[in-house]
Amino acid sequence: MSDLSRRDFLKLARDGFLYLSSALALGGLLRFLDYEPNPAPKTEFDLGPASNFPLGSRTLLSDPPAVLLHTESGFSALSLVCTHLGCGLENNPDGFACPCHGSRFDADGNVLRGPAAKSLQSLNVEVTAEGNLKLFTA
Amino acid sequence: MKKILTFASGLLFLSLVFVSWMNSRGPKPVKLVPSLSDQPEYCITCHADVPEISASHPIETFGCVSCHGGERLALDADLAHSTMRGGANPSDLSVVEASCGGSNCHSGSEADDRHHIQRVTTSIQSTYAGAIANIRFTFGAQSDLTPLFGINAITDENTQTGIASLLAFDLSSEANPSIQKFGENCLTCHINATPREGEDYARQTGCAACHSTGQHTFSTAIPYTQCNACHNRGNYDLRTMTFTERADHPTQRMDDYYQPIAQFTQCEYTLDCVDCHTRSEVMGDGDIHASQKDIQYVQCKTCHGTLTELPLTKTLTDSNDIAFMMVLLDPVVDLKLGDTIIITEKGEPLWNTRVLPNGTYELIGKATKQYFTFRPVMGTACEQNPDEQESHYCHECHAVER
Repeated sequence: MSDLSRRDFLKLARDGFLYLSSALALGGLLRFLDYEPNPAPKTEFDLGPASNFPLGSRTLLSDPPAVLLHTESGFSALSLVCTHLGCGLENNPDGFACPCHGSRFDADGNVLRGPAAKSLQSLNVEVTAEGNLKLFTA
Repeated sequence: MKKILTFASGLLFLSLVFVSWMNSRGPKPVKLVPSLSDQPEYCITCHADVPEISASHPIETFGCVSCHGGERLALDADLAHSTMRGGANPSDLSVVEASCGGSNCHSGSEADDRHHIQRVTTSIQSTYAGAIANIRFTFGAQSDLTPLFGINAITDENTQTGIASLLAFDLSSEANPSIQKFGENCLTCHINATPREGEDYARQTGCAACHSTGQHTFSTAIPYTQCNACHNRGNYDLRTMTFTERADHPTQRMDDYYQPIAQFTQCEYTLDCVDCHTRSEVMGDGDIHASQKDIQYVQCKTCHGTLTELPLTKTLTDSNDIAFMMVLLDPVVDLKLGDTIIITEKGEPLWNTRVLPNGTYELIGKATKQYFTFRPVMGTACEQNPDEQESHYCHECHAVER
């Protein structure tokens, strides 16, 4: 094995620095391009097999905050975001209550007490060909 | 030449390593997408330890920017803070509409009881109209006590008091030296004034002057010490038009409470100011008033009645009653439909009271959470004329020695 000449060492060092620099710069560039400061909010949620939600069930979901109902007419869902200012609602025996400003809604989402003025938003629910439930918030 | 190229490439590599290392040392951005704005903000990257301001303003709903302003995407502190409203206090009245306003928030309609900003900006606490009118009248600058000026110009298009507007009090147009001194020395108590220096006067401005009872805390459970920052720190000397600071530093509540020269009954100094005085008295009712005495109306008889009348009461039958909202904001009592509470002569609920089955009454301290029971005057040995109910009449017999 021959000794590395001074010229070859300098060439190797230069090339090595350049390759490593390129890799670092490329990594930074990719990270920069990948950065998404204003990503669109998620509006589609996979809830898993529809069979997990038997007829007559009323299931509270945390993400998104909603209640999923399975009745004779099929699946439906109500958003559990208060229509006043958007606080998360709490489940109570009469329906839903807003812990922020005291709005109350019945189990069907109708306003029982303000300051909220609108009923809870109905969300679309679909059963996919594979038998999974998909919930849409927009 | 090759040596230079090698050196330059090495320098470039080291520079990139240094930049990468510096970048890794900084805080990892923490994103929050409040449901109210639905726009990401990165404030909690640095401010994760700031306590939630109140149960009505959860951070996952409001975030920081909707109230404070600022550059929501910035990670550099100076840039992030560069467009904040009111510095650290977005409730300062100069920016309160942008920070706290909105029809669903605090500048909605009177019918929805959401006209809080209108109430505050027209209140005596903000306008200082009574003091200004009194001083100008006393020193001949106006012919009667009609309020003409406030700290800021203000209008009330739906006036119920006959006072539709106030001009801004302009010291430069006042010729009398005493009024000049009043302006220079005696305007530190209105709600948007920068307070005097000293721990005893420490408070913020705007809404926070009363409601901010701690670090990043907003509450309706306001202890008397908060009120004391303005109302008990000394007196104005009308001869010299200067403020004379209170020199004593009492350690007992009875001595600390309000003016040391005044008389008080035990219930007055045991309770906090907000236990008796209503929201419209303290925060205003949306109308411009001439002076404090025009808006303050709760008296001893409001809770105790007179020899001939029991206090006014109301049984709660409507779940939309404002009393339930008040309890939600300060849940010191488990108020239910069917409960009977005391109301004022203007119909305002004293929601922290209850009529007990034995005919006595109960009051729960909004800040202290203490329970007090009390009796009506009717049926007692009290001989007070029912037509003379101002507190000084009651003090003649019931004031404590101090």
